[in-house]
Amino acid sequence: MLRVQFFLPGALLLASIASAQPAATGALSPPRSPRNASYSIEARLDPAARTITGSELIVWRNITAKTVDDLQFHLYWNAWRDDRSTWMREASLGGAVYRNRVEQDRGRMDVTSVILVNTGPAAQPATPAGAPDRTDITSTRRFLAPDDGNRDDQTVMAVSLPRPVAPGGSVTVEVKWTAHVPRTYARTGAIGNFFFIAQWFPKLGVLQDDGWNCHQFHATTEFFSDYGVYDVRLTVPAGWPLGATGVGQDRRDNADNTSTHRYYQEDVHDFAWTTSPDYLVRTARFEHPSLPPVEMRLLIQPEHAAQAERHFDATRNTLKHYGEWFGAYPYGHITIVDPAYQSEADGMEYPTLFTAGTRWLVVPRNLTPESVTIHEAGHQWWYAMVGSNEFEDGWMDEGLNTFSTARVEAAAYDPNYLALRYFGGFVPYLLRDIVLKRETDRNRLGLYRALPKTDAQSAPSYATFPSRAARNAISYAKTALWLNTLERQIGWPALQRVMSVYFERWRFKHPKPADFFAVVTEVTGQEMGGFFDQVYRSSDTFDYAVQGLSSTAEQGRFRTSVVVRRNGEAILPVDVLVTFADGEKVLEHWSGRDRWKAFTYDRPSRAAAAAVDPGRVLLLDTNYTNNSRTLTPRGPEAATKWSLKWMVWLQDLLLTWAFFA
Amino acid sequence: MIGPGPAAPMTAFGAWRDGIRRVNRAPAVLAGVWVMTILISLPLAAALRGMLRDHLGASLAGDSAAGGVNYDWMQEFTSQASGVGVTFGPAVLGFAAVLDNLSGFLDNTAEPIVIAFAGATYLGLWVFVAGGIIDRFARERRTRAQGFFAASGVFFFRFLRLGALMGLAYGLLLRYLHPWLFTIVYPRITNDLTVERTAFLIRVAFYGVFAVGLAACNVLFDYAKVRAVVEDRRSMLGATAAAARFIVRNLPAAGGLYLINVILFAIVLAAYALVAPGAGGGGLSIWFAFSIGQAYVLARLWVKLVFWASETALFQGRLGHAGYVAAPIPVWPESPMAEAIGSRVPESYVASDFSRTTGQSG
Repeated sequence: MLRVQFFLPGALLLASIASAQPAATGALSPPRSPRNASYSIEARLDPAARTITGSELIVWRNITAKTVDDLQFHLYWNAWRDDRSTWMREASLGGAVYRNRVEQDRGRMDVTSVILVNTGPAAQPATPAGAPDRTDITSTRRFLAPDDGNRDDQTVMAVSLPRPVAPGGSVTVEVKWTAHVPRTYARTGAIGNFFFIAQWFPKLGVLQDDGWNCHQFHATTEFFSDYGVYDVRLTVPAGWPLGATGVGQDRRDNADNTSTHRYYQEDVHDFAWTTSPDYLVRTARFEHPSLPPVEMRLLIQPEHAAQAERHFDATRNTLKHYGEWFGAYPYGHITIVDPAYQSEADGMEYPTLFTAGTRWLVVPRNLTPESVTIHEAGHQWWYAMVGSNEFEDGWMDEGLNTFSTARVEAAAYDPNYLALRYFGGFVPYLLRDIVLKRETDRNRLGLYRALPKTDAQSAPSYATFPSRAARNAISYAKTALWLNTLERQIGWPALQRVMSVYFERWRFKHPKPADFFAVVTEVTGQEMGGFFDQVYRSSDTFDYAVQGLSSTAEQGRFRTSVVVRRNGEAILPVDVLVTFADGEKVLEHWSGRDRWKAFTYDRPSRAAAAAVDPGRVLLLDTNYTNNSRTLTPRGPEAATKWSLKWMVWLQDLLLTWAFFA
Repeated sequence: MIGPGPAAPMTAFGAWRDGIRRVNRAPAVLAGVWVMTILISLPLAAALRGMLRDHLGASLAGDSAAGGVNYDWMQEFTSQASGVGVTFGPAVLGFAAVLDNLSGFLDNTAEPIVIAFAGATYLGLWVFVAGGIIDRFARERRTRAQGFFAASGVFFFRFLRLGALMGLAYGLLLRYLHPWLFTIVYPRITNDLTVERTAFLIRVAFYGVFAVGLAACNVLFDYAKVRAVVEDRRSMLGATAAAARFIVRNLPAAGGLYLINVILFAIVLAAYALVAPGAGGGGLSIWFAFSIGQAYVLARLWVKLVFWASETALFQGRLGHAGYVAAPIPVWPESPMAEAIGSRVPESYVASDFSRTTGQSG
């Protein structure tokens, strides 16, 4: 009986692994997603002219309850036609300098034709008998600006359909376009003979029950699209290594000294690719006793060849920990791209492919290139498989992923240290005295502390202040910090269940914030609305403090008084720990709601220290130094120590300047 | 030939050794410039200490900051700091401080106004004591405080005039050459580079060009100061021209000596890289770490003095020859009245001169 009990789960496990074995062709069976937006694309790159000429056949199915009479497309590269687009205006507002680029370095995407293809009533139930095989609807093109009404913005194009598409109906459209590859904007573009091509084809928005969700391209938002099957043929110069979403099926060498590569992938919502004659190609394999294997393909710059194993190792650790914590990676392959220097294509995610980012000079025990590799590989879970709407809820991808990245870094690489970079940023110097901590450093408390009130997280991402710093503070750091706070409140096992249930439930779908919060409530069994009111729906900051601590002798005993205070506007319950000189500890619980609260004690021993939130559960507290007070402070000693170290720094600076004496 | 033939000219290495000997025989000079460095840096360090103490208050964060590193507190402090406080950060740790400053120097990064003011004051003090220091090294004997400050006073205003020339030259390098190299040419050259190593090598080459410019000015103005002191020159333009002539005529020796001194500087930095204290703990270890830092500061000052002393030795060894003497021992201060008495000018002349000047009659 015991043997049977042991055998059955083992057999089930093996069977489930076997059934999850990914196909090497990019096919996934059974389908993981609705596959309602599938693309067959043929494109040719002319590296000298920096142009792409493309043609795509889109099969789109209406999976909503709404009938539509138009199609809306993202034409992302039109954000870089001129300085009047919403993207450029926002980039300028946020402090980025992209204006006044020469024409060759700008980008554009011109749709030359849109043809409705009649594939017959069987495929398209809405098509009446006798309808023409091809209906040219190019003339119905028009640009929309649903977010800001900017008439100069050409990043959203609509075409009218001759017949509405009812729920369950589908259409097939053929779109032809030409595009000019820019000098990199938003991690897309070219430098020299390095090409990283993303958001490069006319791509449908997402139809929802309330209409098309097809936002203009904004300076600090990313993307949102439906899942489907991508079958893509790319023609590039012969001999140039190519990496792309999906699995390479075949390569055909053409008479004009070009090669056409075919890539295929099911159940993805985007397709990106890269090519350069400089790439070195390396491969490795991820294997795990309970997770499906993954073939890893690395396209690396020659000057980083010695770092290949660091890239693989970081990717392995991501596949392992994310797989164990949240759910398996099903695609069976992943492509890691090490972009060229100054390409500005580093640190970006696409389905089954991501760009890492490293430097020529790196030091051990500092997580370049591991940190960005883990982060971008991790996006396969929170961006590629869980299809969040990054136009509106960037934190659902970036925040969850920042938190997850920090966990992997800690699990796989601790201890690691701060490295400063000098001489134009080329030369790293490792500070072994500063061990980076997951909770504060890896969750990027410093970024959040710099701009904690810039926007409420619940504001749509496209409507938040368009600076990268603001986005980093609110989407990345704040989410990671409140998730870690949640972890400290409910424990990692509970939070791990929350995240794995959320992943399981919402992979290959489009969740909204309420869906995540519902999973938290469901799994923890706690009503967490108050927590999310504070951290998500508000831009208020947390700052709890110990205002006063005194301990006076009275008739052989000590009367101790502790006053704690809420300096910030945000509210969460916190603990208060009072420690006495004899070692006794008293832990109080404070709702944190009132502006202040006093605790008094009559003890045989004097107080030693008091701390509010002593375990640092509330990682969003922007001013933690004032959270404690001791009757034997070492602040003056610390001040002496650090001011003397600073003095030597200053003397060295003065001596450096004395060169001019 | 009326006397023994001239001795072989002093070599760069000989001048360097002689310079080291001269510096080592004048420990008061080294101590003096160290005190000067302390005097400038201590008030600012005290101000920073007050800021750090106020921020830490009676917090338990002080325990971890005293016993090691509290990086989170460090960042929190900096995010709220102003004045000198904004310069506080992990770069104060050990050898990072040296890299931070050297990198900032080569990348021409701006410092907060309070630090810039301290730096300007420090430079002013160096201008003041430069005459006394070089005079001391040139004489190769004790000049005592009286002689030292007398020479300092004599040459202060001359060196201020020289400072105008230096400011012009260094200003051209910092305001025009550096931006031209690093914000115009370098970005243009590297704009389409896709190999970081190549960009780095170009940057190193540009650092080299900038450093050569700085070194050329530095060696020129060093010898201008040396010639001004040794030959009691009034004209700083003349001293600079004379320095240029000396360098051109003794280029291998002057250049070689500068290179040897640069190597000495590099050795000091390398040695400090090996022993530079990290965060350390509290208590006495604070002062031990500070002592190592001060030893490094003394070594840097010593190297700077060796530059001047060895250049003085080279100049005296090459041009000054065996019988060369510096300016006469100054008798200073000498009041105008004493000079008037000493000149024994006829009384009638003085009276008439007085009446001419004032328009009064006696």
